[in-house]
Amino acid sequence: MPGAAFHGPTPMNRHRSILLVDCDTFFVQVARLEDPQGAGRAPLLMVGGSAEGRGVVTSADYRVREHGVRSGMPMARAVELCPEAMVVPVPRDACLRRSRAVRAVLDRVAPVVQAASIDEFYLDLTGTERLFEGAPLEATAHRIRERILDEAEITVSIGGGTTRLVAKLAVERAKPAGAHIVAPGQEEAFLRSHPVGAIPGIGPVFLEKLAERGIRSVEELLAVEPEWLARWFGAERASWLRDRARGIDPSPVDAGTERKSISSERTFARDLEAPERLAAELHRAVLEVGGGLRRRGLGARTVTVKIRDHDFRTRQASRTLALPVASDRAIFRVARELLDELRARRPVPVRLLGVGLSSLEGEGPALQLELPVTGGDDPVGIESEADLSLAKAADALRKRFGRDALVPGRILERPGSMGRRDTHEPEEEG
Amino acid sequence: MRFTITRQNLNEGLTAVSASISTKTTLPILSNILFRAAEEGVLEMSGTDLDVSVRLRVPAQVDEPGTLTAPGKKLLEIAKELPDEPVQVQTRADQIELRCGRAHFKLNGLPAEDFPALPSVSFDGGWTASGKDLLSLIRHTSFAVSTEETRPVLNGVLWELRDGEMRMVATNGHRLARMRIPAGPSLETTAQLIVPPAALQQVQRLFNAEDELRVSRDGNHLGFRSERTEVYTRLIDGTYPNYEQVIPKDNDRFALVERKPLESAIRRVAAVASDQTHRIRLQFGNDRVELNVLTPDLGEAHDEIPVSWEGDGLEIGFNANYLLEVLRYVGTDEVKLGFKAPERAATVEPVHAEDAPGMDYLCLVMPLRLVD
Repeated sequence: MPGAAFHGPTPMNRHRSILLVDCDTFFVQVARLEDPQGAGRAPLLMVGGSAEGRGVVTSADYRVREHGVRSGMPMARAVELCPEAMVVPVPRDACLRRSRAVRAVLDRVAPVVQAASIDEFYLDLTGTERLFEGAPLEATAHRIRERILDEAEITVSIGGGTTRLVAKLAVERAKPAGAHIVAPGQEEAFLRSHPVGAIPGIGPVFLEKLAERGIRSVEELLAVEPEWLARWFGAERASWLRDRARGIDPSPVDAGTERKSISSERTFARDLEAPERLAAELHRAVLEVGGGLRRRGLGARTVTVKIRDHDFRTRQASRTLALPVASDRAIFRVARELLDELRARRPVPVRLLGVGLSSLEGEGPALQLELPVTGGDDPVGIESEADLSLAKAADALRKRFGRDALVPGRILERPGSMGRRDTHEPEEEG
Repeated sequence: MRFTITRQNLNEGLTAVSASISTKTTLPILSNILFRAAEEGVLEMSGTDLDVSVRLRVPAQVDEPGTLTAPGKKLLEIAKELPDEPVQVQTRADQIELRCGRAHFKLNGLPAEDFPALPSVSFDGGWTASGKDLLSLIRHTSFAVSTEETRPVLNGVLWELRDGEMRMVATNGHRLARMRIPAGPSLETTAQLIVPPAALQQVQRLFNAEDELRVSRDGNHLGFRSERTEVYTRLIDGTYPNYEQVIPKDNDRFALVERKPLESAIRRVAAVASDQTHRIRLQFGNDRVELNVLTPDLGEAHDEIPVSWEGDGLEIGFNANYLLEVLRYVGTDEVKLGFKAPERAATVEPVHAEDAPGMDYLCLVMPLRLVD
């Protein structure tokens, strides 16, 4: 029977069975569920910030996408492209609730579930073949789809294969509301049908370098002798590339590492240029991510500042510290330096500003206390006990009296606006 | 260029200079040593990795002045194995030729013009430091510098000259070492220099306690000079943090303890400590300190040694390696530990016999949080 060797009950089955469950236009679905009379009836729907407030599209339904609308596009532009579409704000709380409902279903069917973002989940079903009565993975995927639709009212697409990479690419073939499984042994053939840019981890800069060597598709990549790849890109990168092109990806589905980053960003109603306004916005973003970090009992070693200039050029700068930090003050110190670096390189009006925290660590192993050696011209990276106590005290006050109970003077001029920030959980909607 | 040199002098010069040259450089000239025979009876050898430069003058019979650069490590390998006889060195275009007994070598060199100029530091406005003082300051502090790249100033040793004192301070944020030495009436200079530890290593290697060193700063460079040896280094830019403010002044619990037994006890119990944190717990109380380690999945350890304790009892955690490190540098038979609270910096100081000359030396170690 076809597929039996793939997901069958045989104990000889050595390869992994990985699924990626991706909620179709998640924010749009939730918006419709939340407002069945309004958004629920709109044939064309976009979710995101307002065009007047220069917001961006968070998600658009498939029919709106046919007009050329994409996630991350300025709403004003999207409205031009598809004027008949209805625009609604992101229903944040409902999205979190629905995401948890989807997760709850997955937790019941798979031993290992890793949330890659609010609407994407990797499952590792290796070894569960008997539970599904030896059904081929494709049948299992469809069954999971139906259960999620039943219990969480969310339509999902599912990609599957022997690696995360293959599952990630397969889910694109599955959308909308379908399942696409790549059988073991078929990974390379499946990869060959993709452009190199589809491989996660190949960014625009690398893509350009590949294009300079005439490599645009995975097919073309695989035609190049490995020695040449090594000479062009270094041995390590070359072997990484070769592996990915053949569908090899050893990274596990790991329930323990799912929260990879916490970030907060905001598109301004008007481009900002004044240093004190940018500092205030930065501080505001730091309070968001810092609070989120501490609520989860984590510390962060990497701080990233992202800006989008008025001409849509997006730039970012990161710094990784020796020890994780968790206080707003320490995060702000690092973020401030990064912002200054970015601004010094290109001092033009800024359209969007964001702060991200990654390399998240539990507070457990970070036991080493630091000397508060600050002062000089380089106070970065060191967090004193006082910084941490202050942050924790502020958290307690905000929990009791509300988010705006305690606001740094720098951002006081617009009280109450903290609640309108766009806080992104790890990644954007896929 | 043509000169004759004893094997010992050649070997000494090459050994001194070749330690300063890069082994993994993209500029081939930087793996070469510059030879310069200009004065009667003196051969000059220089090496640099662009951050730290070394120049040494050794006696040689100069028959024909000139300059050339030649691969340092190769020459050193050769010089080490030459018989104890005079070595005749001669250049032919860009080649250097060595003859010693029946051994004969030709090595390809590079023109001296390609060699980077060593920093020009004028010693007119400098100051004098005794080799003994300088070496002691370096030895007692440079171990504590940070190796993290996030705070460049902490990658260097702070060298301060003020109030008639020379001070060196280094910290990585987890521990700090500070040493002060009276510089006598001769030192009127005031300076605050952040010196890369690689340069201080060369100073330690190339100067002796008996040397009187001239030291001078010129712009962003610092130079050390004795009769035969010069070391130059780029200084680290920036302002060193105010270290005085982190030195606790209100520690009110003290332990006097024999250093060697304490070190052994720490090493013993640390064998069971976590490989990541090296965490040990010290419980100070009436006349003894208990050392405890509890590492899940591994096991536990307990030991105790006598101390003379002053103040309320205290339980505090440390990275055993940090404690052992500062104890080693403090070095005296008896040491004094000072504490305020479990999450505040501890001080470690030498205790000198009453008749022995003391050194003004202080180390700080930040504790590990005790959470469980």
